[in-house]
Amino acid sequence: MTGTENSSQIVSLIRTFKMLNRFNRTRSDARQSRILYFDMLTEYYTQIKNAHDAGKMIASHPVFFPAEILYAMDIVPMHTEMTTWMDALFLKEQGELLAKGAELGLAPEICSPHRGVAGMFALQKVPRPDIILWSNLICDNTAKFGELVMQITGSPGYFLDNPFQNSPAEMSYLVGELKDMIHFLEQNTGRKMDYTKLSDIVVRMDHEIELYREISDLRKAVPCPMSIDGYLELLGADYMFPGQPASAKYLTLLRDELKIQVESGRGVISPERFRLMTLFIPPLYLINHLADIYAGLGTVSVVEPMFTRWSEGRLDPSKPLESIALKSFLLPERRSMYGLFGQTAINDITESAEQFKVDGAVYWAFLGCRHTCATIKIIKETLNDVDVPMLTIDCDLVDPTVNSKEDTQSKFQQFIELLEDR
Amino acid sequence: MLVIVEMINTKLATLDLFKEVNNTFPKTKEIVELKSKGKKVIGWLCTYVPEEIIHAAGALPVRITGYGQEVELEDANAFMYINNCSFSRSCLQMGLKGEYEYLDGVIGSSTCDGARRLFDLWCHYISTPFHHMISVPRKYTEQAHTLYYDQIVLFKKSFEDFMGIAISDEALLDSVYVYNESRRLLKRLYELRKLENPPITGAETMEILNANFRMPKELFNRYLNKLLEELETSGIEHKCRSRLMVTGSVMNNPEFIKSIEDLGALVVTDELCTGTRYWSDTVVLDGRTPLNAISRRYLDNFPCARMVPSDERFNRVLDLVKDYRVDGVISQIIRYCVPYAHDVPLITPRLKVISVPTLGLDVEYGTSGSGQIRTRVQAFLEMLEAKRK
Amino acid sequence: MKTIGIDAGSLNIKVVVLDDNKITGYSIVPAGDDGTASAKQALENALVLQGDACKTVATGIGVKLLTFVPQQKSITTCLARGVRFLFPSVKLSIDMGAESTTVIKLNDKGRLADWANHDKCASGTGLFLQQMAKLMAMPIAEMSHLSLKAQSRPEITSTCAVFAESEVISYVHRMPPTPMPDIAAGIYYSVVSRVMSLCKRVGIEKDIAVTGGVALNTGLVTILEKEIGTKVMVPEVPQIVAALGAAIIAGENAQKGITQ
Repeated sequence: MTGTENSSQIVSLIRTFKMLNRFNRTRSDARQSRILYFDMLTEYYTQIKNAHDAGKMIASHPVFFPAEILYAMDIVPMHTEMTTWMDALFLKEQGELLAKGAELGLAPEICSPHRGVAGMFALQKVPRPDIILWSNLICDNTAKFGELVMQITGSPGYFLDNPFQNSPAEMSYLVGELKDMIHFLEQNTGRKMDYTKLSDIVVRMDHEIELYREISDLRKAVPCPMSIDGYLELLGADYMFPGQPASAKYLTLLRDELKIQVESGRGVISPERFRLMTLFIPPLYLINHLADIYAGLGTVSVVEPMFTRWSEGRLDPSKPLESIALKSFLLPERRSMYGLFGQTAINDITESAEQFKVDGAVYWAFLGCRHTCATIKIIKETLNDVDVPMLTIDCDLVDPTVNSKEDTQSKFQQFIELLEDR
Repeated sequence: MLVIVEMINTKLATLDLFKEVNNTFPKTKEIVELKSKGKKVIGWLCTYVPEEIIHAAGALPVRITGYGQEVELEDANAFMYINNCSFSRSCLQMGLKGEYEYLDGVIGSSTCDGARRLFDLWCHYISTPFHHMISVPRKYTEQAHTLYYDQIVLFKKSFEDFMGIAISDEALLDSVYVYNESRRLLKRLYELRKLENPPITGAETMEILNANFRMPKELFNRYLNKLLEELETSGIEHKCRSRLMVTGSVMNNPEFIKSIEDLGALVVTDELCTGTRYWSDTVVLDGRTPLNAISRRYLDNFPCARMVPSDERFNRVLDLVKDYRVDGVISQIIRYCVPYAHDVPLITPRLKVISVPTLGLDVEYGTSGSGQIRTRVQAFLEMLEAKRK
Repeated sequence: MKTIGIDAGSLNIKVVVLDDNKITGYSIVPAGDDGTASAKQALENALVLQGDACKTVATGIGVKLLTFVPQQKSITTCLARGVRFLFPSVKLSIDMGAESTTVIKLNDKGRLADWANHDKCASGTGLFLQQMAKLMAMPIAEMSHLSLKAQSRPEITSTCAVFAESEVISYVHRMPPTPMPDIAAGIYYSVVSRVMSLCKRVGIEKDIAVTGGVALNTGLVTILEKEIGTKVMVPEVPQIVAALGAAIIAGENAQKGITQ
């Protein structure tokens, strides 16, 4: 089982994270939560690296997938898109991964992280997952990439079908799907679902979501205590360790840091000149540069409605599967990115603009994401109605040839001038 | 040579009736007349919308399609952005321009991102009085059938409220009968294309299928019956260099097929949402209630690439290749059609295994197949001929 | 008070001298290899003497090269100021330059509310039109004039300038040949379509202006007016609008005591 395992990319990633943290720890101004984030990444990828040696199975899964089910069955999760991002961000291999994806026959219009995932598995950059899991939350790309990955790896797979709308029948369907998936996992891994463990996980997940809500509320403060460089980190906690102690640890630390900032009236930048709403996600390789660009312009991103505003609702540990199903409906992404786009989504945008005292908005139009780009005009009009101008930037999440730092800087320069000039 | 071809065409006089419907769409004679009589016209998107329910309520179901050619889609580009497929943008453009202003309702199904966003934007920007979205599972399990049936029941109730009429089981049975008849007639049509020298071209077939979505089914059935008589007695025989199948999602421009057939090939069958995927499967009653039978048929229908497992779609494609003795497959995929694009690396090896060459084409919806496409198809046909020698 | 605006474009450097809200001089000089030298030449041409202590603002794609001008402003802000100065009622302005097309939307106060451009695309720009004129083997002015005589026009379906070129070549060399006026109109129509897409992103609202070198192409502007459904306003010297805006901002900055 060992020795022939393809862990080179994972090993490189772990080394990179540890190195970054060695550097972070030498800086007096380094955010403790940032240090903890890289520790979290190290822990996550170490558990993947060691999985097979420890006699555990690895199951790969996409974004917005209930990995908590895997943790309850002592199966090691491998987040496919995130691993591709990490490779692009830290190992700069996206060119290689995307080229391989193209070679496999995947059209360039397909979302780049997904082309990268196929390339990553085909190039055997990571340990071969024993199980391939995928679902239709949140788009056609997540719904379709699984079968090719099954073909490439030769591993058995299961598709989790998330219903489109929210009704009792659809909730019931999702619970049924979760049960079927658990049955499939039990059959194919020899592991049994531990429902007590799952209930504990649900308790922790409920707490994590509450922490997410608290963190979001703290960012309403003027000046805002959190920089955009924490955006991906914030999402990472739930991606990597849903219902696991590591994510609550991170979120609690972050919450406490923000609380101290808010109580002492300290913001990320001073003076805070403009507060921005971010729609979708900036190109991942640009996030740190964006933090610098924003700092230079006295700007801060205060809210990301599509990704950081969870809907109201609590999880009930006595009904673990129903709770896990409910969580998928509480996800921020569910409001505007999956399901009918209606008044709920529109209200959330205007409420966010008001509650977070937003001056302007930036929409990252990721060309691989059809359904997100389709709401650009509706959201722009919604924001214009509450007197918030919106900048649209065409981009790619992982391909750095699409947006340069200079170009991005000049666009924000132009936009800030627009805001200054009003 | 030209004169003879014209003489042959007058043998298929009914074909002209179908072409007339297509040429005047969206405001065809029948639709305008029905609207003036107070009948409701309901637009639908994707093969997962159960038309029989619309028909049973006394409304005319009309499939929402885009422009007949590749055109500038400036408004749709601004509303829907450039990275949604040109089919969804073309439909939206027509909607924004008021071409579908007579529609009383729009029924969507949660099939793919392009279609669902088309529905979202339609609801937001175009004032069609009634709209409803049917959630469609991606699986064929009993659970999935239960959910889909639940969705159909919801849709029926909502539609009944709008129409101010209760849809009885008898009405549904009548509609099933009409629609199944339509499917049987289309099957008869396609059977003729299995012949060594079929009497009808692929381009002509597409005209028939297009008209099918745009007129009352009863009238369509009468016309198609007549056409089948004409075909069976015409003595027309199309000889060709190669027998081809065109696969993909939506296609409505017969010019694309014609441009292939002008090169001497014959498109003898297809795997398109606007072709075999639409009519192949009938509603089977088998002791079920009509609504149940309809529900079962529509979810189990000849699969769209969105469904899991994909093998269900691939097996149907391979069956068609075999049944129609297809020499080569033209897989045309609209840019940004994500579900079908993902199937390419999965279906290609399966076609290779049965030694059927495939030509992959990136197209835009409404393309007529000139220029670059022609050149590539020409090369493909030469390759097919060389292979047979 | 005398102020200067410099627009360092990709093809040309434009300078405008403003004195008490009147344009007292302007100049358009090819950017060439040495942007700074060309800018200084343009200043000379516009009758700005060495040592004239005027407030200056620079803008344009080559603005980074003009290190001798400490005050810089982005092109969109300058275009908004410049076009509003010339046409106080303008709400939408389309700037068609050598390498890019930018559409700006102004709010009721005449300030920039939104903008859109195709920054990765060559279609619809001055250089593209120059290339097309070369394919047609005639000067731009002649092609522009010819397009007004078109009886119909062929569809040029490619959204990409590279593929559009091959389509145009096929129309030029076809047997029987497509009439030259029709081809010209077809080319211009496809350019106008790109522009219309941008306009629709920000929302079309009257009054509408067209600026930049391509605004001198009456054939194209005529087709644009047909598509947009209304007459458009074109300045006498459409290439200098951004430089004018920069000069205006220089004045505003001076009044506010801004030096950087």
